[in-house]
Amino acid sequence: MLERLDFEAMTRRAAKEIASGQVVALGPGIAEGVTGQVPSGFDVWFLTPAGTLAYGGSGNRRETVSWVSVPLSTVDTAAVVHGGHVDTAIIEAAWVNTQGDFAHWTSGATPGLNAPGSAVELAACSGRVIALMRHTRADGTPNILEASPSPADGHACISVVVTDVSVMTIEHGQITVLETAPGWTFDEVVAITGATISPAANLVEMTMDAPIARAQPRQKVYATGLEAVRDIPNGAMVNIDGFAGPGGMPHYLMVSLRDHGAKDLTIISNTAGITRVVNFGTPPGRQAIDHSILVENRQVKKAISSYPVSPSPSTPTAFELAFQRGDVELEVVPQGTLAERIRAGGAGVPAFYTPTGVGTLLADGKETRTIDGKEYVLEQSLKANYCLIRALKADTLGNVVYKGTSRNFNPIMATSAEVTIVEVDEIVEPGELGPEDIVTPGIFIDRIVLRPADFSPYD
Amino acid sequence: MSQNAGASQGSKGPTKVFPSPEAALDGLADGHVVLVGGFDGLGSPEALLKALSARGVGNLTCICQGAWAPRPQGGDSGLVQLAASGLLSKLMAPLPFQTVDSSERVPIEERWRSGLLEIETVPQGILAERLRAGGSGLGGIFLPTGVGGRFQDGREVRQFNGQDHIFHPAIHADFALIRAAAADVVGNLVFDGAHRNWNPVMAMAATVSIAEVDEIRKLGGLDPELVISPGIFVNRVVQTL
Repeated sequence: MLERLDFEAMTRRAAKEIASGQVVALGPGIAEGVTGQVPSGFDVWFLTPAGTLAYGGSGNRRETVSWVSVPLSTVDTAAVVHGGHVDTAIIEAAWVNTQGDFAHWTSGATPGLNAPGSAVELAACSGRVIALMRHTRADGTPNILEASPSPADGHACISVVVTDVSVMTIEHGQITVLETAPGWTFDEVVAITGATISPAANLVEMTMDAPIARAQPRQKVYATGLEAVRDIPNGAMVNIDGFAGPGGMPHYLMVSLRDHGAKDLTIISNTAGITRVVNFGTPPGRQAIDHSILVENRQVKKAISSYPVSPSPSTPTAFELAFQRGDVELEVVPQGTLAERIRAGGAGVPAFYTPTGVGTLLADGKETRTIDGKEYVLEQSLKANYCLIRALKADTLGNVVYKGTSRNFNPIMATSAEVTIVEVDEIVEPGELGPEDIVTPGIFIDRIVLRPADFSPYD
Repeated sequence: MSQNAGASQGSKGPTKVFPSPEAALDGLADGHVVLVGGFDGLGSPEALLKALSARGVGNLTCICQGAWAPRPQGGDSGLVQLAASGLLSKLMAPLPFQTVDSSERVPIEERWRSGLLEIETVPQGILAERLRAGGSGLGGIFLPTGVGGRFQDGREVRQFNGQDHIFHPAIHADFALIRAAAADVVGNLVFDGAHRNWNPVMAMAATVSIAEVDEIRKLGGLDPELVISPGIFVNRVVQTL
C-alpha cells in the first residue's frame, strides 16, 4: 500500500509556497498547521482564522525576532481580506476541479451543509490561492474532479494544489502535476484522480525543505522624511491625517513633502489646513505648520475635505484664497462620510449607503435609496497612492500605537493607501508594543520616519 | 422595557452592572434576533448562554460564528446546547456546526435535517461587514465576494472599478451576548487576544448588548488607549465567577 503524506508533511510542503515579505492567510483546518512549518525569523505575517496577525512562523524558536502577534476583530479581519491585503491564502478544500473551482472542506464533512467559513473571501480576494487537501476521501472517492459535486465556494481561483500525494498547478482549465509524493508515480496519481491531469516536463518527487529564510526583515525605517517621500510623483493622491488643531498631524512629513516639491497633488484630509490661520495653541509670533505650506508652495491641485475653510472669514486659509482664485478644486465631504469612504477604500467596500446628506446639496447627483423605510445616499470609497500619518511609537515591523485624540484618521488612512508613511516620536524593537496596545498592525505600514527631536511644528 | 432596567445604582454614579446573567437577559423575548460572540469557543459568553437556555423563550434567531465545541477542552459549549435545544428556530453562521463523527449525528444536525431548525450559511467576511454596517448606521454595503455563486442568491449585482460587486443590507439585532476580559462600570471593554473576534461588532449591532466579563473595574480603571469597545455600545455588564 503506497504511503500518503501526513498533515505535517503536507503543511511543510505548502509552506514552501510562501515568499518572504508576504501576508499569508490560513483557512481553518489543516492549513493552520502551516505556521509551525515556518521559522520564527521568517519575514511573513500570518492571518489565522480566529483573527490573529502573527509575525514569523512558530517553528524553530531560535531566531531573534520574537513571535509578535496582533489580535484583530472579525471585522478587521474581513477588512484585511476584502481590502486585498492578503498575498497568499492557504485553504483546506473538499474538492477542486479543472477550472480551479473549489469547495471548503466542510462540504465533504457534512453533506448538504456547505458551510463557507472564511473561505469565500479568502479565495476571492487574495493574490494567490493554494488548496491544501487530501487527494481522495477515506473511501477512495476522488477529490480532484472535472465538475463540481457540490456548490462551490470559489470559482476559477485555485492556482496551486498540495495534496497528500502530489503538487499540482491549475491554469486555463488544465491541471498539471509538478511533483509526486515519495514512492508515487504519475500513473498511480492518475489512478486516484477524477479529472484529466498532465505531468510537467520536469516532474519530480516532493521535497519538504523549509522556505528560504531572509536574513533580515524588510527595512522600513527611513533616515529622513525627505527620503521617505522621495518617490511621490506629481499628480499623486495623498492621505494626510489630522483633525483640525495643531496636534496629531504629520508635520515633519508635510515639510518633507513640501521640500520634495511634488505638484498637482490631491490631498485627502479632514481640513485643507486651518491651524495656520486660527492658531490653536500656537506660540505668539509663530505660525503653525499644516497643509497650508503645500498650498502656498503651489503643490495642491485638489482637496477632499470636510472642513476646508477657516471658521472666520476675516482670516481665510491659504486653501480658501487659492480656491477663490480658481487655482484649486474642492470636494466637500461630511466628516463621518469621509471617514467611512476612507475605511471602505482599505476594506474592499467600493460603495455603501449612508443616511448622511440625504435631502441636502451633498446628495446632488448621487443615488438615493430607501432601505427598510429609511432613506440613504450612495457614497463611493476613497483610496490614495500615498499616506502620511502621525503616531506615537512604531516598532521596526511597523506596528503602531497612537496617543489620545491624535489617533483621529490615522488607523483608517493607513489601510487605504498603496504606500503608508508614519511619523513617530519613538521607534522600538518588535515585542515592546503589547499585542492589545497595537492599533495599526505592521502589514499596513511601509515606511517609518522618526520625527527629529529638534523639529518644531511651528514656523 | 428600559435597556438598563435592573442595573444596580451605586451611590457614586451610573453603573451598567447587573447582579446575574439571568437578570441581565431581562427583556429578551420570543422571536428575537440574538447575536452571540465567540469563535470556536474562544470568547464565548458561556454564563449568558446557560441562562438563556433556562429562560424559556423560543423561536429565536441566533447569529454567531457557529455552534462548535470549544478547543481544546471539547464537550458541549453553550451554543451547542442552545442549538440542540428547542429555543432556536434559525441559526445564521459561517460554520454552523461541526460533524465530528460521520457515523453519528450531533443534535443540531438532527434538528436541521428534520426541518425544526433553519440554517443559513453566510461567508464570515460578509456577515462581519453586514453587522458593522448595522452597528455604524449604514443601510448596506457592496462587497466583491461571492459573485456568480450561491451567496449571490438574487441580490443586486453592480460594477465598480470594472468588477462585479454584490449588495448586502445591514444587519441589526435585538440582543447581543458578548464576552470580554474586563469592563468598567460604564461598559468600556477590553478583550484578550483571539477572544476578541466577533464581540466588538456585535456590541454595536444590537439594541441591547450584554457583556459577560471576568473582571469589573471602577470608572477610570481601564487605560483609555486599550479600550476596544467604548461603553456607549454596551448596555449591561455581568461578572462571571
